[in-house]
Amino acid sequence: MNAYVLIKMAPDPVEELDIANDGKSLNAEFIRFKSGDPDEHSIEQALLLKEKNGGKVTVVALDAPEVDDVLYTALAKGVDRAVKISLDQTQLGSVATAQAFASFFQKEGISSDTLIMPGTQAIDDIEGETGALLAEMLALPYIGVVSGITLTNGGAKAVVVKEFSSGLRGEYEVELPAVLGIQSAEKPPRYVPVAKIRAVMKTAKIETVDLSEPDKAKILEIERMYKPEVAGRAQILEGDVKEIAAKLAEIFAERGII
Amino acid sequence: MTPVRPLFYNIHTNYKWAEPLTYILGAVAALIFLIGVYKHIKKWRTGRNEKFPLFTKDRLISFVKFALFQGRLVCDKYALVMHLGIFLGMCVLFIGTALATIDQDVAHLVFKNQFLKGSFYLGYKLFLDVFGFFLIIGLILAIYRRYILKPERLKNFVYPTFPYDSFYLLIILLFIAVSGFFVEAVRLAATKVPWSHYSPVGNLLAGLFTSMSEHTLQSLHFTLWTLHGLAALAFISLIPQSKAFHIFSSAANVYLRNLEPAGRLPSGELSGASKIADFTWRQLLQFDACTWCGRCQEVCPAYISGSKLSPKNVILKLDNELLRFSSVKSNGVSNPNGETNVSEKKEGDKTLQETIFEPSEIWACTTCRECEEVCPVFIEQPRAIIDMRRYLVAQGIMDKILQDALNSLNRYGNSFAKSDRMRARWTQGLPVKVKDARKEQVDCVWFLGDYASFDPRLLTITQSTAKILSQAGVDFGILYEGERNSGNDVRRIGEEGLYEVLRDKNLDAFTKVQWKNGSKLIITTDPHSYNTLKNEYTIDGVVVKHYTEFFNDLIKNGKLVIKKKLNGKVTYHDPCYLGRYNGIYEEPRELIKSLGLELVEMPRNRSRSHCCGAGGGRMWMEDTAEIKERPAENRVKEAALLEDVATFVVACPKDLAMFKDAIKTTGNEGKLVVKDISDLIAEAMEIQ
Repeated sequence: MNAYVLIKMAPDPVEELDIANDGKSLNAEFIRFKSGDPDEHSIEQALLLKEKNGGKVTVVALDAPEVDDVLYTALAKGVDRAVKISLDQTQLGSVATAQAFASFFQKEGISSDTLIMPGTQAIDDIEGETGALLAEMLALPYIGVVSGITLTNGGAKAVVVKEFSSGLRGEYEVELPAVLGIQSAEKPPRYVPVAKIRAVMKTAKIETVDLSEPDKAKILEIERMYKPEVAGRAQILEGDVKEIAAKLAEIFAERGII
Repeated sequence: MTPVRPLFYNIHTNYKWAEPLTYILGAVAALIFLIGVYKHIKKWRTGRNEKFPLFTKDRLISFVKFALFQGRLVCDKYALVMHLGIFLGMCVLFIGTALATIDQDVAHLVFKNQFLKGSFYLGYKLFLDVFGFFLIIGLILAIYRRYILKPERLKNFVYPTFPYDSFYLLIILLFIAVSGFFVEAVRLAATKVPWSHYSPVGNLLAGLFTSMSEHTLQSLHFTLWTLHGLAALAFISLIPQSKAFHIFSSAANVYLRNLEPAGRLPSGELSGASKIADFTWRQLLQFDACTWCGRCQEVCPAYISGSKLSPKNVILKLDNELLRFSSVKSNGVSNPNGETNVSEKKEGDKTLQETIFEPSEIWACTTCRECEEVCPVFIEQPRAIIDMRRYLVAQGIMDKILQDALNSLNRYGNSFAKSDRMRARWTQGLPVKVKDARKEQVDCVWFLGDYASFDPRLLTITQSTAKILSQAGVDFGILYEGERNSGNDVRRIGEEGLYEVLRDKNLDAFTKVQWKNGSKLIITTDPHSYNTLKNEYTIDGVVVKHYTEFFNDLIKNGKLVIKKKLNGKVTYHDPCYLGRYNGIYEEPRELIKSLGLELVEMPRNRSRSHCCGAGGGRMWMEDTAEIKERPAENRVKEAALLEDVATFVVACPKDLAMFKDAIKTTGNEGKLVVKDISDLIAEAMEIQ
């Protein structure tokens, strides 16, 4: 197995998220970046596969604030290689990001046991397109929202569990190489002690890959960004259970629901 | 006729062949004993190195107080009488026997003289008889306690030596003591010396034998003498093989105990302890020093709550591993990266955590230190547990909530997963802006800790503490977003690397502080922060005070004025990290009393305060299924039994949260209210 985990840095929702004066972006002053949960699960899933089947895991990310911390942490967790592509991730949309990764893989080469594992979607744009676009560009099969991978046929194929809404699960078999968008790993992401990350920072190196800028950074233009607006349509019913039930029935009747 | 000690009475005249045998068997017993001792020492030496001053006055004083006179037993009078009886009885009888040997083999054989004669001999006889009697009393008390009273703490689950060791020990000692008296009695009955009343016990027993013929007495004497001698030699040679070895290991351990401040956790390997040889030699000595008394277990909040942890069991399992399973040749520290592949392991390569400990057992400890406080021989149970936690952390084996907390602490510097920029948000709404100690001159820095900064339940208390400080005219500031969790509990979780990161960031913030008058004072509302700031950060020239100490001073020197005396009965809960770890017991009490309140103590107070259950990182872990009663609930029930006490006073932000919950879950809502001391001061100062 030759797994590649693709990381995207997104604004940390724990920090105060303010709209910038242009009304189209976040106020950069307070933004801190972190990798999203699906990406963290993707690292975990790749490590679980490596522990079971052997092979190699590489994490790849475009350049973004605090991305080095994420890459070193992944190395400390047991990832074999960390690669940083020197393109500013925050300036690229999904298509351009997919293009950047595609040209990375063209340089890197894709073997018959390659698994490309982006998180199924990032927590900022929630587009979930990068994986699919990348698969298209590389002419590889794609499955998203994956929550479990088992390698079969000596690592030539993968049986993949995909989650649907309302708790349904589907099982797919796919031939490698393939792109799999990871929703969650079979186990929660592991903890790696700080001392180990610090040791890795001293010994391991992040490889840097230079790529030319994609043709068009962003295809979609954000017109307006805004916080949820108060609509004032909520109505709070007061009283005891019976009274509330009566009022509720009245409202339902009024609106023609019952 | 001058009284003189008879040399080999009866034996020398009637059983001369037994004389050389005595020397031969004595030498064999001594040899077996010495080999046994050597084996123990060799085991201790398999541990990692730990350096500390070996010869100090404090060690000597502590040895006399706690080893020779067993000072830790003063609160258990029964045990004190029982154990001192056995210990001093055996000591005196041993010294008596040694003197007799010297009298015979040195004074008599070499110098053709004896010193055990005249009034010295008579005093010697009396002394030995009296202490022999004490020994028997002690043994009877011990047998009564162990087999009739049967306190739960004496029950063992692991026997590092052999299962009936305690029984064997009591019986063989009793046999030696009783047979010794009978040997003496028979001799006195046969010799009828005029000074026999100097051996009151022997003389009394001699009455039983006066009717027998001299010949019968001589053969009876020989039989008893032989049995007594064989038992004594068997006992000596088996000391290293039995629990009796604690005579030496416990004494050595008391002498070599950790004399550093209790709040300063000794540093250990980052990869933690997963093999017995990963502990230091001093820790291995501690495990071997355990006397199986179970006092630690009796007070342990984790054990009482029903968790899998018993500190006694932890130490005994480790001792068992040390004595019975660890080969003396150790392969040293386990893989430094902490990477292991379970399937490829051979049986001998398995870790302690895979074989004799369950993670939930190791995680159950609240590091309240009560076990350590009551241990008669100064074993550091929490330290061993934390070393084993370090290994679990290195392997990532932990509760999900704990993992989230550690990740949050690493990223945001607090366990609440809040942005560090929100740390001083509580200051909003205060009438006066709180100074940023890094930018403005201050006399003192207030280190709040995570709970006071972020927990919404504590907002009003934190704000009123700020108002108290301003009203008392204290020129204080805070570190704003520069403050990080102090790391006290992170360290006790076993995440040493994260602790260092947090500590270094705080130290960095402290170096930026603009101290006004050269007086460098840090006050903290959180006992956990207090402990590590005071004992582990050790910032040059800085005094660290808990707010109860500081406010008590302010009241004493009149800077903090009480406008309205409060009244009513309250009880006070000593936080572990303030009391047991740092000995701050009286300041909070003085403070409470100076507000006009009547303080009623709970039965478990001061150093015996019962932990709330949140320490040592337990607040970041879920209770396991086997928990019957949480420590805080146990504590609240104790307080609820106090007559007319309606207020449960705390001095730790975590306590407030823990006990408010416990009052609800134990149904004491109408009866008890939890209040922080700051609450009470604010009330007395009429601060809104």
